[in-house]
Amino acid sequence: MTGTPHSRHANAFHAQANDALQDATLKKALRNATDLFAERRSAAIDAVPDWEALRDHARKVKDATVARLDHYIEQFADNAEKAGATVHWARDAKEACAIVTKLAEDRGAKRLVKSKSMATEEIHLNKALAERAREPVETDLGEWIIQLAGETPSHIIVPAIHMTRDAIGQLFVDKLGIPPSNEPKTLAAHARKRLRDHFAKADLGISGVNFGVAETGSILILENEGNVRMTTSMPKVHVAVMGIERVIPRFADLEVFLRLLPRSGTGQHLTTYQSILTGTDNQAKSAMGQGPEEMHIVLLDNGRSKIAVDEKMRETLACIRCGACLNACPVYQTIGGHAYGSVYPGPIGAILTPQLAGMHEAKPLPFASTLCGACKDVCPVKIDIPSLLLELRQRAVEGDGKQAPAKRGFFELLTWRMWSWFMRNPTRYRFATALARLGQRLPLLQKTMPPMAAWHSTRELPKLAKKSFRDTYRKAKKESNG
Amino acid sequence: MNVALFATCLGDQLSPDAVHATVTVLERAGCNVTFDPRQTCCGQPAFNSGFWQEAREVARHFLDVFGDAEAIVAPSGSCTAMVHRFPDLFRDEPEMRERAEQVAHKTFELATFLVRELKVTDLGAKFAGRVGWHDACHGLRELGVKQEPRQLLSKVEGLELVEMKTCESCCGFGGTFSVKTPEISTAMLDHKLDELAMTPIDVLAAVDSSCLMQIRGRLERRGSPVRTMHLAEILASQ
Amino acid sequence: MSDARKAILAALRQEPTTHVPPLPEVMTSAGGPTVPLDDRIRTLTEILAKLGAPVDVAADMTAVSTRIREVLAEHGATSLALSDAPLVQDAAKELPDSIEQFAHDADREQLLRSNAGLSTAQCAIAETGTLVLVAKDERHRLATLLPDLHIALVPASRLVATLGDGFAQLASDGTSPDSPTITFVTGPSRTADIELELVVGVHGPKALHVVIVMDA
Repeated sequence: MTGTPHSRHANAFHAQANDALQDATLKKALRNATDLFAERRSAAIDAVPDWEALRDHARKVKDATVARLDHYIEQFADNAEKAGATVHWARDAKEACAIVTKLAEDRGAKRLVKSKSMATEEIHLNKALAERAREPVETDLGEWIIQLAGETPSHIIVPAIHMTRDAIGQLFVDKLGIPPSNEPKTLAAHARKRLRDHFAKADLGISGVNFGVAETGSILILENEGNVRMTTSMPKVHVAVMGIERVIPRFADLEVFLRLLPRSGTGQHLTTYQSILTGTDNQAKSAMGQGPEEMHIVLLDNGRSKIAVDEKMRETLACIRCGACLNACPVYQTIGGHAYGSVYPGPIGAILTPQLAGMHEAKPLPFASTLCGACKDVCPVKIDIPSLLLELRQRAVEGDGKQAPAKRGFFELLTWRMWSWFMRNPTRYRFATALARLGQRLPLLQKTMPPMAAWHSTRELPKLAKKSFRDTYRKAKKESNG
Repeated sequence: MNVALFATCLGDQLSPDAVHATVTVLERAGCNVTFDPRQTCCGQPAFNSGFWQEAREVARHFLDVFGDAEAIVAPSGSCTAMVHRFPDLFRDEPEMRERAEQVAHKTFELATFLVRELKVTDLGAKFAGRVGWHDACHGLRELGVKQEPRQLLSKVEGLELVEMKTCESCCGFGGTFSVKTPEISTAMLDHKLDELAMTPIDVLAAVDSSCLMQIRGRLERRGSPVRTMHLAEILASQ
Repeated sequence: MSDARKAILAALRQEPTTHVPPLPEVMTSAGGPTVPLDDRIRTLTEILAKLGAPVDVAADMTAVSTRIREVLAEHGATSLALSDAPLVQDAAKELPDSIEQFAHDADREQLLRSNAGLSTAQCAIAETGTLVLVAKDERHRLATLLPDLHIALVPASRLVATLGDGFAQLASDGTSPDSPTITFVTGPSRTADIELELVVGVHGPKALHVVIVMDA
């Protein structure tokens, strides 16, 4: 194995991908998962006659929102506070972690529980809390398994898809001391029991946010297990970490996104639970006393504002994290999430990570694609991922006017310069291709020169025709002209 | 209809038979086909690699060669899709962009040209064999090529079209991707080709020489008896 | 205003957008063709059946109480947490003493110990098989979450056809901005996190039973 979870990095993509390709168990699990989700998605959307209209509409809502993100995020914050939440703003990961850590420390929180949140993974919140306060217990079954294993998630929807039931069973035996079992039902039952205990004693619950409604200051969180409801109901304090791009303008807009997200991700009409939280119980007209006393929302920028003002790349922020692109991507299907070495894998990861973390931290990712476009086909908000990948490639190679190119080796530049010189002139083109035909007579050259050797490692090399089309066409034309 | 043939660099150098077949097919469909020998390449390899300056240099030459054509037809979905991206490539040069838009509008992939523009589906072709169709990605997703090749193949006498479950699955070529990440490229292709074990065919066909090159290379390495053919070669068969 | 807030808003305002796309009108499935109650009940039942949640129709309160008793017996439940809804209070009155009842203001321990929870739903959506629980209107947040079994009484008049109708219902109830929690419940809790094998009953209730109350 190339890396332990915390040493995986986007820049080590190739090695990580090769590791994944050697893992037969992973390959099978990935194929099963992606096939299943793709099938279910297909079946679910076939039953929705106005699917395309929904996609178009959702995209329009997102476009309008991102174009005025400052307005909507401010409206959200103000309304959330009117409803009784405390809103915090975090420019970057460090600031966000500091805010949450301070909240935990100030409230003397000894036991923390957490539901699944990509944003909290992005900022490495668990690590920060472990250092200063106390590491929160993940409560989503897949995330808890990952946490016990010291692993990172490999899929947005099913984080532990890369682990077999045997591996999970053994993990539970090792970490929880349960009698041996590899039955998912039994393992889940153990998880329920253990995590109930954590929920009951937790002082503080941390969640993510799927959508934040500007009009009302509400947050909506989707789930299947019930751990979000527990995390956001049981402890006295609830902290929600929300990327600023999660805001949508109106409460009524939730309907469209609820129609699109579950079907796209898992093929469900709706996930088992949606929790729409607005302020706290204690602020409601009648004191309910059945939920947290405090709600904190941490608004996270961490590079999103930069994307928002980038006209070409702005549609990246339309993403609703459904996971459909992962399931559709033939590259992801083959190598899985860990290969990408970033919190966000697959097609969305390939465009998001270089922008959030910077191209220098994720050079291979925009190139980890054949630009097949399967992701664009399934994206519920029609993000044109292939075009964004091309844009990022151009910036990686030619710079973006602000930063020096991240990926532009001297040799590669020379190659393309030469290529262009030969290709833009018919005489030079004919010369170069004649040379290539000559070179073909030297099989050793063919099989050892890097690009050819790479090809030859798995495929028979193509043969340049003895005579090109233009030579034979000219001859044929000459003959027919007499 | 006057058609300026864009052979594509791969077609010209690697699959001249497919390009000849393309001429035959277009002539049979009633076109007057010309081939301007000044043509070279559409610039896609450089473009996909992020070297847009170099891609523009080659694209400019393309526009010079084909600027006055009535219709430009290429036996390739990916090259056609690249030409359709020329306007974006020249986004910072208004005049070039204008020219690019004009040329892009009249550049067609073979199957789409026959079926949508000429409204021709029957070319009097005869080809006996079980043929599996590969929906090459650029053609499928950027140009919407899906029904057209099937309509054309359905009119070929003796041909049995076999729909593959993985017909839309990427072959893994992706230009330099095929040699920069050869393992992933091959793994993707194997997923597609594994279906052949359950779905026997004689020929795997597509309208893109790049895909066919990738597929052929792997089929040969796997010792498979399945051949590859370009759509034009099948349509030109008698 | 905090420094971070200022900085983030300033960053967002850095480059004025050349063209701001307009926000389209809300797209909703509300107000579609009227769907008869029978069809709504049938759709709800079919969808929830696929999720393993039975749906019954009770003509009156006697039938409701009978059904509750039966369901509790099926699940071997001997304790029941109640919400504060009048419908729930009425139904609970008819239950035998052998069922230990916890009122809506019972403490955590008791709620965690209850085998079952009884509540109504402020709305139910046939199209998706969803119950809508509005905390402002009924104290059922924990009674519908902690016990293994959740029995939901749905007044027939509150069963709407589509998701959009559900949102419209919330808006017309004046609910949206006020309730601290609105929970959409579609079946019992589930996960497929282990090898994609479906397991029903994780953190939320393991079983959901819906009783549609006619006349209510």
